[in-house]
Amino acid sequence: MEKAAKILVDTRKYPTETVRYAGYSLSGEAYVFLSPAGKKKILVELAPKALARGGAGGLRDKFLSELEDENGREAVLKANLELREFMLLKALSYQEKAPELKDSGLSHEQEKELDALIAQVESELKKESKKAYSRDPLGITRTWEERHDSKRAKSKSR
Amino acid sequence: MIQNAPKVKAGKQTLAAVPPHFYWQRLGGRVLLTNDAGCSSWLDEKDFRLLLKGGLKEGHPAFAGLAEGGFIRTRLDFNALALKNKRKEAHLQIGPGLHIFVTTLRCNHKCLYCQSGAISQASKGADMSWPTARRSVDFAFESPNRGITIEFQGGEPLLNWGTLEKTVRYARKKGRETGRELGLAVVSNFSLMTEEKAAFLIANEVSVCASLDGPEDLHNNNRKYAEGSSYKQTVKWLKYFRKKSDNQEGEKRVFRPSALLTVTRYSLGRHKEIIDEYAALGMDFIFIRPLAPIGYAKNLWGKIGYSASEFVRFYRDSLDYIFELNSKGTAIKEKMAVMMLKKIVRQDDPMFVDLRCPCGAGIGQLAYDHNGDIYTCDEGRMLAWEGDELFKAGNVFKSKYSEVMLSPAVKACAAASNLEMQPVCFRCVYKPFCGVCPVYNYEAQGSLWGSMPSNERCATLKGIFETVFLALRDKKKGAVLRSWVEK
Repeated sequence: MEKAAKILVDTRKYPTETVRYAGYSLSGEAYVFLSPAGKKKILVELAPKALARGGAGGLRDKFLSELEDENGREAVLKANLELREFMLLKALSYQEKAPELKDSGLSHEQEKELDALIAQVESELKKESKKAYSRDPLGITRTWEERHDSKRAKSKSR
Repeated sequence: MIQNAPKVKAGKQTLAAVPPHFYWQRLGGRVLLTNDAGCSSWLDEKDFRLLLKGGLKEGHPAFAGLAEGGFIRTRLDFNALALKNKRKEAHLQIGPGLHIFVTTLRCNHKCLYCQSGAISQASKGADMSWPTARRSVDFAFESPNRGITIEFQGGEPLLNWGTLEKTVRYARKKGRETGRELGLAVVSNFSLMTEEKAAFLIANEVSVCASLDGPEDLHNNNRKYAEGSSYKQTVKWLKYFRKKSDNQEGEKRVFRPSALLTVTRYSLGRHKEIIDEYAALGMDFIFIRPLAPIGYAKNLWGKIGYSASEFVRFYRDSLDYIFELNSKGTAIKEKMAVMMLKKIVRQDDPMFVDLRCPCGAGIGQLAYDHNGDIYTCDEGRMLAWEGDELFKAGNVFKSKYSEVMLSPAVKACAAASNLEMQPVCFRCVYKPFCGVCPVYNYEAQGSLWGSMPSNERCATLKGIFETVFLALRDKKKGAVLRSWVEK
C-alpha cells in the first residue's frame, strides 16, 4: 500500500461531522482512517486505493478542498433547517391557482382616462350623498342612540 | 417577496446575509449552484465566496439572476419556488404509472447483455397465461394514477401473442370503462412481427420499441439471432412503423416507433456510426444508455463492460456529434439529456422512474412476472430469476394493492433511494435532478444503500450531468439543448 497522507484537523474550525463527510466523499479512492489526536484534534489518514489519481499528495489536496466545502455546506444547512422544511412542505402541499387576468385590454392612455372618470363619478356621488344626508328634516337617517341618548343627541349638531 | 416565512437562526451572520439552502460544485473553472426547486446558476469563485459570506448585494451583476433562482434570502418568491419544486417532483403524489408485463420469459435472441432472464423459445411454463394477464391488468388499474402505461416485455413478447392480444383488448376496454388515460407499448426485437400483428397494434394504439445498437455488424454482435440478421428485422419494422406514423391514415393515432441503444465495450469509439444509423432511419431520439452489471451482462462484464469514465467519454463525444448534426439541420435528440433538461431548464417531471427521489421502484412502477408475481421493477424481477426474491412485493392473485405498496420491498427501496438519507447525494449539486437505484447498488455493491463514492452508476450520472451543464453554459450548445425542451 502506498504511503498514506496524514492531516491534523482542528475541530474548533472544522466540526467532527464535517471531517467525517469530507473523509467519506474520498472513500472511493482512499482508505480513510479518522482517530482522535489530542484535545479538539482529529488525525485523518488517507491511504490511496489502486484507482486514486495523484497519489497521497493529490488526496491531501482533495481532502482539504472537500473539508472547506463541507464546512460551508454544514453552515448553510444549519442556518436553513427551518426555512428549508417550510419550503419543502409548501411545495408538497402547493395548489396551483387559476391564472389571473393581468391585461385589461386597454392602452395606458385609456386606463388613465378610465381612472379619471371613476374618480370623477366617485367624487360626484360623495357630494350628492352629503347633500342628501343634510336634507333629512325627519331625522330618518339618525340612529337609535342618536335619537334617545340625550347627551349625544345634544352634542350632535345637524 | 417573503410570505409566512419562518424565523431562521442566522448564527453570526445577519438573517438577510445567510444564503438560503443550496448545493454547489466547482465545474469547468466556475461554481455551479443548484437548489431544491431545480433552479441553477453559475458564479466565479470570487463571487461564490461573496455569496457564502453574505456579501453579494443588490447592484452586483449576478444579483438579479441569483434572486430569480431563489439563491438570495431577501428575494425568495415562495409561491414560485414551491410551484417549480412541486412540478419537478409531480411523481410523488400519483402512484405507479408504469406497469411492466413479462408476458413470456422465452426469447429467440441471445443478447450479450440480456437483463431479462430470457430462456430458449422451446421452453415450457414460461408464458403468462390469459387469467394471470387479466388479473395483472385489474391490479394495475388499482393504482390511483390517472395515467396507466402497460409495457409488454419479455423475453420476446410476440412469442406469447395470444395473451398479448387479449390483454391489449381487455386493457383498452378497462381504460374506456374507468376513464383512465391508457398507454400501451410493446418492446420487441421485431423478428416475429407480421403485417397482421402490426395492423392489430396500430388499430389498438400500441406503441412499439426495439433495441437498435448501431450498424449491422455491431448490432448483430450484441444481439445474437440464430435464424438470421437481427439488425435487418429491426430496421425493416422500424421503417414500416415510421412510414405508418408519417401517413396517419386511419382514425387511430400511429405512434412513431422508438429504439433503445445499449452501449457495450464494442460500441466505444463508434459513436458517429451509431448516431448516423439512427439519423438515417429518421429517429427523433437516440437514448444512449449505459450497461448495468445485472443479468448476463454481469457474467460477461470483463468482455463487454467498461468503466464509468469510459462511458462518459463516449457520451460526451456522442453529444458533441449530435450538436454537429443539429447544426446541419438533422433534428435528433439524446433522450437522457432531454429528461435531465426537463428538470433543469423547465423544472418539469419527465416521469422517468430511474432518476427520482425516491426511485420509481414500487411507487412509480411495478413489474408483473409471467406467473403473477409482482416486483418493484424489472431489474428486481431479474434478480428473482437468479434466485433472490428481495424485490418481490406480492402476487396478483394473493396480494391487495395496499399490501404491495406497503410491502417490505417497496418500503426498503423507497428508504434506500431517498437522497436526503444518502450521505454523499444529500450534499450533491445534482441532487435536485438525480436518483439512485437500490437494485444496482445491491448487485454491484452488496447493499440497497450502496456507497456513492465508489459507485459506478453514480460516477456515470455525474459525468452525464457535468456534460449537460457544461453544454448548457456554452452559447451554441446551450441553445440547441434548450430547443429540445421548448414547449
